[in-house]
Amino acid sequence: MAGLALPLFRARAANPLSIVYEGDDLRPVVQNLHFLTGKPLERLQDAEKVVFASWLSLYTIDQSVPFRQAFGRYVVSYDIWEQKFMVAIPSQAARPRDNMTSLDAEKWCLENLAISASGLAPDRPFFLRLELRTEQRRELSSVLDDPGISLVKAAAELFSRKPRPDEPHWGPFESGRLRLSELVRMPGRGTHG
Amino acid sequence: MRYPWLGCLFLGSLLFAGTQDFYNVNTRYTVESVVVSGNGWTADTSSAGADKLSSSLRKQISALIGGALNPAALDRIAGRLRQELDATTVTRHVVRGATPACVKVVFQVEDKGARFDLAVPKFLYNSKQGGSGALEGGAKVNHNSLTVGLVSDGDELAERYAGLTARYENTRLGSDSVHFQFEFDDFHEQWNRATLDQMAPGPTGAPETATAVYRTRQNFEPALTIVIAEPITLTVGASFERFQNEYAGARMEAADAATASLRFHEQFDASDYAQNVEAVYSLRAATPTLGSDFGYTRHRWGFRYRMNHGKHVVTDDVSAGVLTGTAPLYDRFVLGNSSTLRGWNKFDLDPLGGNRMVHNSVDYRYGCFEAFYDAGAIWDSGVEPATIRYGVGAGLRQGSFSLAVAFPVRRGRADPILMMGMNY
Repeated sequence: MAGLALPLFRARAANPLSIVYEGDDLRPVVQNLHFLTGKPLERLQDAEKVVFASWLSLYTIDQSVPFRQAFGRYVVSYDIWEQKFMVAIPSQAARPRDNMTSLDAEKWCLENLAISASGLAPDRPFFLRLELRTEQRRELSSVLDDPGISLVKAAAELFSRKPRPDEPHWGPFESGRLRLSELVRMPGRGTHG
Repeated sequence: MRYPWLGCLFLGSLLFAGTQDFYNVNTRYTVESVVVSGNGWTADTSSAGADKLSSSLRKQISALIGGALNPAALDRIAGRLRQELDATTVTRHVVRGATPACVKVVFQVEDKGARFDLAVPKFLYNSKQGGSGALEGGAKVNHNSLTVGLVSDGDELAERYAGLTARYENTRLGSDSVHFQFEFDDFHEQWNRATLDQMAPGPTGAPETATAVYRTRQNFEPALTIVIAEPITLTVGASFERFQNEYAGARMEAADAATASLRFHEQFDASDYAQNVEAVYSLRAATPTLGSDFGYTRHRWGFRYRMNHGKHVVTDDVSAGVLTGTAPLYDRFVLGNSSTLRGWNKFDLDPLGGNRMVHNSVDYRYGCFEAFYDAGAIWDSGVEPATIRYGVGAGLRQGSFSLAVAFPVRRGRADPILMMGMNY
């Protein structure tokens, strides 16, 4: 338990999650979050693809009842000849983005994280929580072939279990308690979950 | 655009139908070479070390070369390597090739090192001949394995033998092509009433080619197996059998023999069919020049063909044997057990076994359902004529577990035999 609590405390202390309010969406921003490192990077350099799954939750009253949740996945591969990264988002029709450095790839993934704030009263207190994990190889087929409801179900299963000791994961990162009325609203890029 | 969903379906099918992984940028590169590497050995599809791999796996690996990198195919091959080489882990690495836009695939095989196993090589109940079973425990360190087991088998021979077996094996004696094995057995025998009656003196007594019954038996059997040329192997060795006659105070007798067997085993995999062919000839020659109290020669030929197609499996198993001279009872041929002339009781056919044997078994399986038809004859040359008998049966088989009912094909009442167990 202590082993789990320590990295959690560190994550909260060293990586505070801030929020950008764009259109109807809330976008998390985590400083110094680098996930293209360690074991995932080793797998990528062996020409494997690695799937990163994000679970973004918007809480209003208490942590047991999320107001809204959004699940995202990013399929990353590493070009062993060009030594550049490619990221694809299976749920989006957009072409995969390639020829990126690790920093660019990480940044692009985070920029595509968003959760809709529609229906949330401007004065209602809320906070965001973000978790990021890699998915195991055996989970990949369900990840890539089952869009829709089963995908959300798979995500719920993935994030409902504790990460194994050897399973890379980041977070959870939590924002402080905020209200929409306290945030500066910027022009939106589109709607999200 | 009245049917936009059709377009989506078409595009989606194009996306997922191919073997190319849309999400992996490296799938645009061509596989230049594939290497399998283990502890102290390396093999590509053409090198000498490749004989560690089955021909079908070599073909599967060769098919990668020249094609686009397919990570799913690499995972399948890693799984097969793990299975075939009995390895702890097989990791795959993809590195840049010698020429641009080409990659080299390396499978790294990690041996299990030391491990311990407990196995049940045979467990059988036969409604006419009772139960048989064997339990083995083994330790394996690198290429050396030691197996110790307990056995009580009333199925295979004319006798029921029960006791201890111990076996040492080295699967790499200086070279991967040479294996060494030494086996020691210590058995106590039990005899069926029909066999003992047949041994009694009189006009219907034992043929001159059969020896007396014995109560204990020990065997020391070293053997060397050499891979002559894949898939042909030659095994040469010796067997030093010591046994004590049933009568109190009887001296120990010896049946020391030179042994040899030549084996061909090949598997052919096509996309729909898998075929397995195995042929074996074995020779056992006991002679007084080796210190044996007996002089005999035992030849046995076997041929087995198996074809798998989906859930269908067809097997044909042919065997024949010739024994010349006077041999101990354990070396005489037996039909009418759980694998030959099923439906017949060996003690009804020939309680002492015979010195000539021919047998054919056809087995058809569909999923877990099984049907078989056996035909064979066992006799003593010069004593009785050969009579061909037939057996037919059906049952269920799942993995190594089996349950079957077999009937002898003859006039008169049907007298079925129930067989159930595993690995028989």
